[in-house]
Amino acid sequence: MPQASYKWQMVVDIDRCTGCQACVVACQAENNIPLNDDVAFRAFRANEWVRIERYWEGEYPNVKARFIPVMCQHCDNAPCEPVCPVYATHHNEEGLNVQIYPRCVGVRFCANNCPYHARFFNWWEPVWPESLRNHLNQDVTIRSRGLIEKCTFCIQRIRRAEREATRERRLVADGEVLPACVQACPTNALVFGNVKDPQSRVSRLLGHERGYRLLRELGVGPNVLYLKKVEREVHG
Amino acid sequence: MEARERLTEAQINEDLLGPTLRTPRWFWPVAGFLALVVLAGVVSFGLMINRGLGLTGLDRPVMWGALITTFVFWVGISHAGVMISSILRLAQAEWRRPVTRAAELLTVFALSTAAIFPLIHVGRPWRLLYWFLPYDFPRMVWPNVRSPLIWDPAAIFTYLSGASLFVFVALLPDFALARDRTRGWRHRLYSVLSLGFRGSLRQWKLQAIAGILLSALILPVFVSVHSIVSWDFAVAMSVDGWHATIFAPYFVIGAVHSGVAAVVTVMALMLWLFGWKRYIRPEHFDSLGKLELAVGIGWFYFFFLEVVFGLYGLGGPDLAMKQMQLTQWPWSLLFGIFIVTAAFIPIPLWMFRRVRRSILAMFLVSISVNIGMWFERFLIIVPGLARKQPFAFSWGTYSPRPVELIIVAASFALVLLGLLLFTRLFPPIPIYDMKEGQVLHQDLQVGRRRVPGIVRE
Amino acid sequence: MVSHEHAPDLTPDRIAQDGLRSLLVSGPRFFAAARILGALFALGIVGFVLRLRGGFEDRAAWGYYAGLFAFLLATVGSAPMVAIGLRLTKANWRRPLARAAELYLVGGVFLFLLFIPLLYLVPSAQGRRTIWFSWPNAPHLWDAWALAMLVVCGLLVLYASAVPDFASARDSLPGGLRQRVFAWLACRWRGRQRQWAVQRGVLVLLGAFYFMLLVLVYTLISSDFAISMVPGWRDPLFPTYQALVGLQAGVATVILTMYLLRRIGYQEYLGVGPFWSLAKILLALSLLWFYFWFSGLIVLWYGRQPVEQNILKLLWYGPYLPLFLLTAVLNFVGPLLVLMWNPLRRSVVGPAIASGMILVGTFLDRIRFFVAAFSVEETGVALEHVPPAHLPDGIDMMIVVGGIAGALFIYLMATRVIPIMAIWELREGLLLRARATVVRLEAIVLGKPS
Repeated sequence: MPQASYKWQMVVDIDRCTGCQACVVACQAENNIPLNDDVAFRAFRANEWVRIERYWEGEYPNVKARFIPVMCQHCDNAPCEPVCPVYATHHNEEGLNVQIYPRCVGVRFCANNCPYHARFFNWWEPVWPESLRNHLNQDVTIRSRGLIEKCTFCIQRIRRAEREATRERRLVADGEVLPACVQACPTNALVFGNVKDPQSRVSRLLGHERGYRLLRELGVGPNVLYLKKVEREVHG
Repeated sequence: MEARERLTEAQINEDLLGPTLRTPRWFWPVAGFLALVVLAGVVSFGLMINRGLGLTGLDRPVMWGALITTFVFWVGISHAGVMISSILRLAQAEWRRPVTRAAELLTVFALSTAAIFPLIHVGRPWRLLYWFLPYDFPRMVWPNVRSPLIWDPAAIFTYLSGASLFVFVALLPDFALARDRTRGWRHRLYSVLSLGFRGSLRQWKLQAIAGILLSALILPVFVSVHSIVSWDFAVAMSVDGWHATIFAPYFVIGAVHSGVAAVVTVMALMLWLFGWKRYIRPEHFDSLGKLELAVGIGWFYFFFLEVVFGLYGLGGPDLAMKQMQLTQWPWSLLFGIFIVTAAFIPIPLWMFRRVRRSILAMFLVSISVNIGMWFERFLIIVPGLARKQPFAFSWGTYSPRPVELIIVAASFALVLLGLLLFTRLFPPIPIYDMKEGQVLHQDLQVGRRRVPGIVRE
Repeated sequence: MVSHEHAPDLTPDRIAQDGLRSLLVSGPRFFAAARILGALFALGIVGFVLRLRGGFEDRAAWGYYAGLFAFLLATVGSAPMVAIGLRLTKANWRRPLARAAELYLVGGVFLFLLFIPLLYLVPSAQGRRTIWFSWPNAPHLWDAWALAMLVVCGLLVLYASAVPDFASARDSLPGGLRQRVFAWLACRWRGRQRQWAVQRGVLVLLGAFYFMLLVLVYTLISSDFAISMVPGWRDPLFPTYQALVGLQAGVATVILTMYLLRRIGYQEYLGVGPFWSLAKILLALSLLWFYFWFSGLIVLWYGRQPVEQNILKLLWYGPYLPLFLLTAVLNFVGPLLVLMWNPLRRSVVGPAIASGMILVGTFLDRIRFFVAAFSVEETGVALEHVPPAHLPDGIDMMIVVGGIAGALFIYLMATRVIPIMAIWELREGLLLRARATVVRLEAIVLGKPS
């Protein structure tokens, strides 16, 4: 693979995450994701490229809710890639796991082999109510039924930033490209950047003492770093 | 082996070729009904193409369900044909004679039906050219040979062509026989198919050698096909319940287990529908039953190993799948049904000679085995996906919807219909093989007993 | 077509004479073999005592001992399966070789004695990942029980098979101590209808049990002495793989035994027929070796998980790579290339060469697995570091050589008590044969009573 100047990484600070789902909504708006109604949720078919997993801990009255946003981890050693029979998913030079919609036939092996449940299948042709038709983002394809889609780290925004940067004969600056979820997060729990730039925020967060990766023992090499929640003791 | 009556050639010809040339009365109503079921399946598939896979019960994370279960099921059934035909032929077991063609046919039709399922369950069937045929020549994008789903078609089509050749070579003398006894369009059909077989010494020799060579060569193919299908699951390292090294031989022996039971079902049906009491006798079911006993015990051993080692990492994520299978309703009920119908009823029953020699009992037990084996595949696929990895928030469930169940039923109808239509054109019991058995059968006088014997050079 | 049967001009009396010959007369070759094997056996005992002085603390030191045990289980323990399996499927061509295969059952006692020190080496199941969950002493209890049952079952099968021949010996000897010993062993056998029926029942039932117990022993040994000693190695295929390689080695042992028997004078009994039939089975088992090995490899390799990659490195392409390559050649490539060709398959020499390769390969295979497993000292959840190869020292070599010699020595001694040709079985075969003319062909008719 040719050497690129960028390797995109995301950092998710669980301590700052309040579970507000702003990232989920922003992602849905940015990426033309079909609407999820309660029928979809009950049928386990909700399409949420980034989702907030919520776990309850403890017994009443000390019940705590734990939130963890999970999106495609763009694994270096992605298990979804070797199993696609038509090469519809592969790794690009910038460390992103990319999905080629026209090529996907919809066998769903990649979705089965993703340990993060990060891949979504379009069971129906997507339909938006008349009032929402104008909100669709023209930079992002609308996917038909029968194919797999997932978080792309808002590759349309990355490409736009890269085009501008190339025109100005420079590299993309840190903070210049923000995926929709990062942009929308009210507590700045999400950080995104180029790990090949030693000055970027993500590079400086890489060695964080609270840092961990999801399912590290699987060896898939996820490119999302999570920062553990700081536990506060409740006295008295 | 048992003593049996001597049959003349003319009698054999009449008994075995007769039903092919003269359509029995029940034939068209039954075939018509099966065709209707198949049609219902086609309509369901059409609906799925038209509306989307949302019509199925699939969801996230259970993206493979009843359709893939049935795919694996039919590939499994297709294994019996080769097992019985080639292994028994190579071991020169006499009792194989009436069974071989039915078994081989079951292979061909079951495998063809199985091959339809991957086409049905993909999201965009109209784009399948990317998958089955290298399509994007100009853009140099080839199918991904690292994917088990590319190994699958290679294995299945190799097996299908091998098995079809096998059936054809074994049919040659019977084509010739039918050609010499028919007129009109049948005569023309058999003339073309028999490739000029006249029964000369050289032709018989070639036919025998071809049969033996194919028997030996198709054995590795037979082992590899279901292994490759099992690797669709076993190499998926994310699904802990699937990621076990034992899947390949476990699936193969499970396939033989269900496949031999399917052969018993077909044999019993042939006996009852065509009245071939002199050719399909209790001793055949006895031998099939002993084979099933050995295979069934072997399969249970592999199943046991898989369960024990699956629970091995106690407290690990693989435990969640087992918990779902064994303790959660309704999966625990399905598990109970599976283990009772596939193991706890058949295996003890096959130990008794009286059961093995009773054709009705063998028929019912064989159906029980296949019900159980369908659930076995279902219980591997669905709970494995439903409890994938420790993200319990994203765990799910699955229940099949009508379109899927109709398609599953249609697959059964398709296989039966294929077998039935075959009998209109070709004899399902190898006539020349039965005649050979008659010639090689001699009685021996041992002391005061007459013992049936086989001629060996 | 070459006959699968033994030569047609044998008579019942001739069979009895040849069979009893080994009981009555011991020639110079016998004594030479006994002396050599006995000396090597003694050497092995010395080596064992020396190893014992080091105690059971260092598990890695006992790796070769465990490998020896596994190898003997694969050869001595599995060779009788040829006789049992062929008897269960009623194959007629088993008759000249059945007893030679069954005689390995006397080695079962030796196997059990060899196993006892290994019990001190398997750690308690508590706190480790084993198939016994956390039942502390389960491996010790159940592995010993299974092996003991196997040995007892095997001895019963051997006895049941030998009783009619003890009776023949009793009836043909004039008198004296030997005659009384055989009379006692024969246990009032008169060849009555009912006695034959009981004997057949025992052979069939206990034979089936032996097979099931053998598979159970393989499962337990490979699970407790290999898999659970390497943290993170989860491999349900391994026990079956071991059982299969064991079966392959068992068939190879029988072929080599047959080859030896031909050299010492039993050519008329062991024509090309039995070699050809066993060679076909050996070819199938060699192909299955590849299949089982590949099935294990593809699943562990494809997922690219770190712990599984470490295990593959430990067992296959890490420090033991030369051993593995040798095994692959000797257990699969070599036998395949030899047995692929029908002229080589249908000969005496071809299967013998393939068998020799397989025995060496199985030996290296067992050494590789057990020495590697025993050399792992970690007890965590996943294998972190791959330990280097553990090379044999002098004591190890003494033990290995002595152990193999010991098993052969016991076999040799047993041939003085039990005839190496099953007289009753060969005679039964004669009864069920007749000559006939079919169309224009002179052929043999084999009776197949139901």
